[in-house]
Amino acid sequence: MAQFRINVNGTEKSVEAVPDMPLLWVLRDLLDLTGSKYGCGIGACGACTVMLDGAEAQSCQVPVSTVGNKKVITIEGLSKDGNHPLQKAWIEHDVPQCGYCQAGQVMAAAALLHKNPHPTEAEIEDVFGGHICRCGTYQRIRDAVMSVAEVKR
Amino acid sequence: MSDRKDVSRRSFIQLVGGVGASLALGSFSSLACAAVDASLGDKTAKKKGVVFTPNALVCVDPDGGVTVTIVCPDAGQGSRTVCAMLVAEELDVDWHAVKVVQAPANQALYGYEGIGGSNTVKSQFGNLRKVGAATRLMLVAAAAKTWNVDPDTLKTEKGHVFASDGKKKLAYGELTAVAAAMPVPATDAVALKKAEDFKIIGKATTRVDNPDVVTGRAIYGLDVKVPGMVYAVIARTPAFGASVKGFDDSAARRVPGVIEVLQVPSGVAVVAQNTWAAISGRKVLKVDWDLGPNADNDSAKILETMKAAIVPHGDMPAGAKVIEATFDFPYLSHATMEPMNAVADVQDDHCTVWTGSQQPTSAHDGVVRQLGLQPEQVTLNVMLLGGGFGRRLSNEYVTDAVNVSKAIKKPVKVMWTREDDMRHDNYRPACHADLKGAVDASGNPVGWSHQTITPDGGGRRGGGAGSFGGTPDFHYNIPGKTMRGARVAGGVPTGAWRSVEHTIQSVANECFIDELAHAAGKDPFEFRKALLDSDRLRNVLETAAEKSGWGTALPKGRGRGIACFAGYGSYAAHVIELSVEGKKINLHRAVCVVDCGTAVNPKGVEAQMQGACTDGLSTALRAAITIDKGGVVEGSWPDFQWMTLDAMPKVEVYIIPSAESPGGMGEPGYPSAPAAVANAVFAASGKRVRKFPIKVEELV
Repeated sequence: MAQFRINVNGTEKSVEAVPDMPLLWVLRDLLDLTGSKYGCGIGACGACTVMLDGAEAQSCQVPVSTVGNKKVITIEGLSKDGNHPLQKAWIEHDVPQCGYCQAGQVMAAAALLHKNPHPTEAEIEDVFGGHICRCGTYQRIRDAVMSVAEVKR
Repeated sequence: MSDRKDVSRRSFIQLVGGVGASLALGSFSSLACAAVDASLGDKTAKKKGVVFTPNALVCVDPDGGVTVTIVCPDAGQGSRTVCAMLVAEELDVDWHAVKVVQAPANQALYGYEGIGGSNTVKSQFGNLRKVGAATRLMLVAAAAKTWNVDPDTLKTEKGHVFASDGKKKLAYGELTAVAAAMPVPATDAVALKKAEDFKIIGKATTRVDNPDVVTGRAIYGLDVKVPGMVYAVIARTPAFGASVKGFDDSAARRVPGVIEVLQVPSGVAVVAQNTWAAISGRKVLKVDWDLGPNADNDSAKILETMKAAIVPHGDMPAGAKVIEATFDFPYLSHATMEPMNAVADVQDDHCTVWTGSQQPTSAHDGVVRQLGLQPEQVTLNVMLLGGGFGRRLSNEYVTDAVNVSKAIKKPVKVMWTREDDMRHDNYRPACHADLKGAVDASGNPVGWSHQTITPDGGGRRGGGAGSFGGTPDFHYNIPGKTMRGARVAGGVPTGAWRSVEHTIQSVANECFIDELAHAAGKDPFEFRKALLDSDRLRNVLETAAEKSGWGTALPKGRGRGIACFAGYGSYAAHVIELSVEGKKINLHRAVCVVDCGTAVNPKGVEAQMQGACTDGLSTALRAAITIDKGGVVEGSWPDFQWMTLDAMPKVEVYIIPSAESPGGMGEPGYPSAPAAVANAVFAASGKRVRKFPIKVEELV
């Protein structure tokens, strides 16, 4: 066990963990931030997606010892009061069904638009190829992302 | 089929009984709200004053806020939204004033709680409207008493009672104290609105949980944390029917954070201070397994057993053109995004469980039996379900958590890892279908013989598995048609999977009717249309043809496939447009049509059709569970492939306007989707599908 200091949603947090504990379990079990979900533990589904220094990361594949000074943003910290344009679009387009994967989907979209505010449809598809929604909300995810990104079809 | 029908019928009757009883017995009502508030921490209390609780399902606050208690678990089908809509409609309350809380399992208060068989709206449409209407009548009576006027002269709108002048008004919140003293109307005396007066029913409504979902506040079973809770994963059997001979936990116990290692009925549990420690401990746990009676079982052997159960088809009419085809379907995992889990806190005289189950009542009953407690000594809180699709009809994960908590005397969360979940499911069974049909010289069908063989559960069967082995509903007028279904021993647990037996029987029929149309030299749409025995089914088929541009020219290499399905009180049709490019199948367009009677929430109906279509595409082209050495080969998403956004076609959903009573929506959108894919593959390539998932190199 070791002590790690990480910056989560703008706040410095101190956690005691084994160095290989994935960020996902640090967030969920040690910091009570359960918005990031466990879906596979092997980085194959995207349910645990967070932003690390603004880039998309599967938190189940990030050992806590490697976070260092990188700033972690989870779904809980994406906006102060749930009014990020993507959160609003997700509500308006009624994207969620069971909703379990949607934090990861929103964070993937946020990371994409952070890097590239006006992606092409192909660039959107490229990102979401790594995100499974077992309820099949893909049409609405596409519509919601494109509405925020102002993509011309 | 029979056992699932029985369950849904029972739940319907008991729910009517439960609601009726609580309407008649006002004393239950305050108890209901208290129970809900305590268990779920609802923070709706605002102004001080009397909270009007006319029944177990509705509370009106002094400030006019309305809280609806949702009895149906929400697995993504939208029950928490649609059930509240039904109450709000008849209560004449502004939709934005409505909040929902989830009922814990409590059969005495709420009747049988459970979802399955696409029954949420079907079972609640009458009940919940009566609950809303009865509540409204009591508020009207309260206003009439306050103003000393005849209640029949009063009207209600948006949470207010209006006097006959249309100006003088009282907010519902101002009437709670008086309303609470009004007699509860008899359930059968409560009149319901006419469809033309609906303001909320039929209006596209976004989900009540969306704001919580997109901010990470929504709490699923796996998100529950209670004081003193520890975490466990269980080393589970490598083959179905295997058992623990012994284990060496010395390395596991040395993993930092591991607290305890113990044998439980489903394997060996590793208990730890956090999930990662439990997983890490299990990695180094050595278990010696007795692999049991299924150790040499595999998919090829199961297929041979199924094939051996096929009997000769009856004779087809002499002189007719006869065709035959077989279709093989794999086992399928439910693979909900949230794997199975439960939190249990077992104490000497009480047990509390937090979980996402499709069947709270049976989960609760199971814990009562498991611990030998009285029903009131078990509290089972129903959390959001991260997917159901039939998987959460059974409750083994609750049994696990109760066993571990009882042994270690601590509250514990038992999580199934993705691999546990995929390898210990109640699977949609594999199937071998064998069909034979005939057309006469004029192209009229004159014979149809259907056989589907499915392997049975190997000692464990999830809810609804009894549906397999029956005979399909069949809506084509074909003389001499015969249907046969049979079950054989399979050694793999099976269960209900979104649309259950129709995932194989109806898919096989819809593929083969296409082949018969081709044998008759007829267009598959026109051939179906002429044979269908249902006007509503014919209408969705025609609509799908029209919306998809059926019969119009397509670019070279593209094809369209059509299929239809009737079941769960609804009617669906699909046209899929795709192209075959080398070994790759590219999806271009999916047209989905549904007639579900009254579409209570059109946004929800559209979502179910989009989701069921995605399932249809995924299972037609990608997903399969393989059995080897008595267990499941696939462990996670890279093996059990599902559609992702990049491979999806444009999905269009068309809802037939209807004032008929609502049909189910969870399942009817599935069966015609994979069949339409198979038929489109033929249209594009000239080759037929004999095996799912479809691989171009296996076409014939």
